[in-house]
Amino acid sequence: MKKILLACSSGMSTSLLMTKMQAYAKEIGEETEIWAVGQDQAKKEMEKADVVLIGPQMSFLKGELQKEAKKYGIPVEVIDMVAYGLADGKKVYEQAIKLIEERS
Amino acid sequence: MSQTWFDTFSRILVPVAGKLNNNRYLKVLRDAFMLAFPLTIFGSIAVVLANLPFLDKVMSKGTLSTFSAALSVAPQATMGIMSVFVVFGIGYYLAKSYDVEAVFGGAIALVSFLILTPFVWQTEGKEVVANVIPLDRLGAKGMFLGMIVAFLAGEIYRWVVQKDITIKMPAGVPPAVSRSFSALIPALITLSVFLIINIIVTQGFQTNMHDVIYRTIQSPLVGLGSGIVPTLAAIFITQILWFFGLHGQIIINSVMDPIWNTLSLENLNSYMDKGEVPHIINKQFMEIYTVGMGGTGMTLAVVIAMLFFMKSKQMKQIGKLAIGPGLFNVNEPVIFGLPIVMNPLIIFPWIIAPMAVTLVTYLAMSTGMVPPPTGVAVPWTVPIFINGIMATNSLAGGLLQIVNFSIVLLIWFPFLKFMDRMNLQKEQEEGSDETTKNAS
Repeated sequence: MKKILLACSSGMSTSLLMTKMQAYAKEIGEETEIWAVGQDQAKKEMEKADVVLIGPQMSFLKGELQKEAKKYGIPVEVIDMVAYGLADGKKVYEQAIKLIEERS
Repeated sequence: MSQTWFDTFSRILVPVAGKLNNNRYLKVLRDAFMLAFPLTIFGSIAVVLANLPFLDKVMSKGTLSTFSAALSVAPQATMGIMSVFVVFGIGYYLAKSYDVEAVFGGAIALVSFLILTPFVWQTEGKEVVANVIPLDRLGAKGMFLGMIVAFLAGEIYRWVVQKDITIKMPAGVPPAVSRSFSALIPALITLSVFLIINIIVTQGFQTNMHDVIYRTIQSPLVGLGSGIVPTLAAIFITQILWFFGLHGQIIINSVMDPIWNTLSLENLNSYMDKGEVPHIINKQFMEIYTVGMGGTGMTLAVVIAMLFFMKSKQMKQIGKLAIGPGLFNVNEPVIFGLPIVMNPLIIFPWIIAPMAVTLVTYLAMSTGMVPPPTGVAVPWTVPIFINGIMATNSLAGGLLQIVNFSIVLLIWFPFLKFMDRMNLQKEQEEGSDETTKNAS
């Protein structure tokens, strides 16, 4: 099962995207776990995830989270701005899957 | 606006934003205030209940005062002694950030703060009462001293621990026992430092650190922060940061929160005491009258305009998507979807509207047409109008938001209309392309 962690300032705006991504994953019949947290929890939750995606408004977190993510060998990336704004579940889901596949 | 221009600015802004967001002290400060937040909400609910507008009609005067008195302990035990929680929180989270025993960091910070607190109180008749801790020193008045002491105490404590000047217990001693011993030397050293400071200040200068810090640091800083010009500057920078796609509040608030929160506490104390509030600008002014109108940039009006007055598919779609979160003041769909980020067409209304509205709010409150926020904490996700009434404990506070909403709508409308026309044109071209494709 693929596990996708979304992070923003308090986990509120990413939670909208989270529902859309879950709906898309269900639609294409893939079993995934997608959850959204605030920046403070991101480091803790990371060990359970296969990929970490950050809201574009928190792009400055990338460096710090990447440092932490190295321990678990998982990728950290900023969500595409337009996809984020339109809460485009499909596009962000595909971004996440691509990152997971590139790693392995 | 070209891509290279954006890249240049991002290259400068992103690291600065990252530094501010990840700065150890600002982070600790943010966490410490977060620790106080649920307590503040509890106290606030009690204040709101005690001041419901119709109570004097359903209760006799005697019952009402008993009712208020019964509830008044809730805000006193929370916001009234807020510095205690902030001091403990700073000590705790600072120690945690250095990976040293956090709970001792909190306790040592708190005791250091208490060592500098005079345990006497002067009545209005200049009579001195001994063996009491004046409540206001643990509340708004002691806030800045508390923050400074907590950071210093935390730093000294972890420095001693990391220098390894601790008592080591032989193996086999229960961990809890050896932990309490390992905190002994660092605690003794840290607390001695503050005891010596207190002796010098009280014996040598006949004053106390509370009064010194209040007069030299807190009062000037808080006075500066309560002015309209610094407030407009804070909003301007926040809007610019968001324009570059960065979370403006996270960055600006970590610097301004101590000041805004202190102003709120002073308001609340005065409100519970006399029913009046001294400061217009405070934490709730920033949360409810800037963010609380659909999110940063007061975009609920923008969303409504897109939903009802715009014709292009793109704007209607974003309007539909943004209205739900927008009612609860989450507006990332607008910011990244419209988009606002790096969109030269809307930079003018994006920056001018919030500043104009803030000025209007300030004028309405300084002329007394609308009462300023009482200092009661209202979560920023409460919708417009309701949050305005809750924050000011007056219907006028909600009505003012409706006026502000209309101002935002007016300023934005021509710009949105212009974007809408461009979108329509693009959509028609794409549409006709498809029809020709289908025909061929």
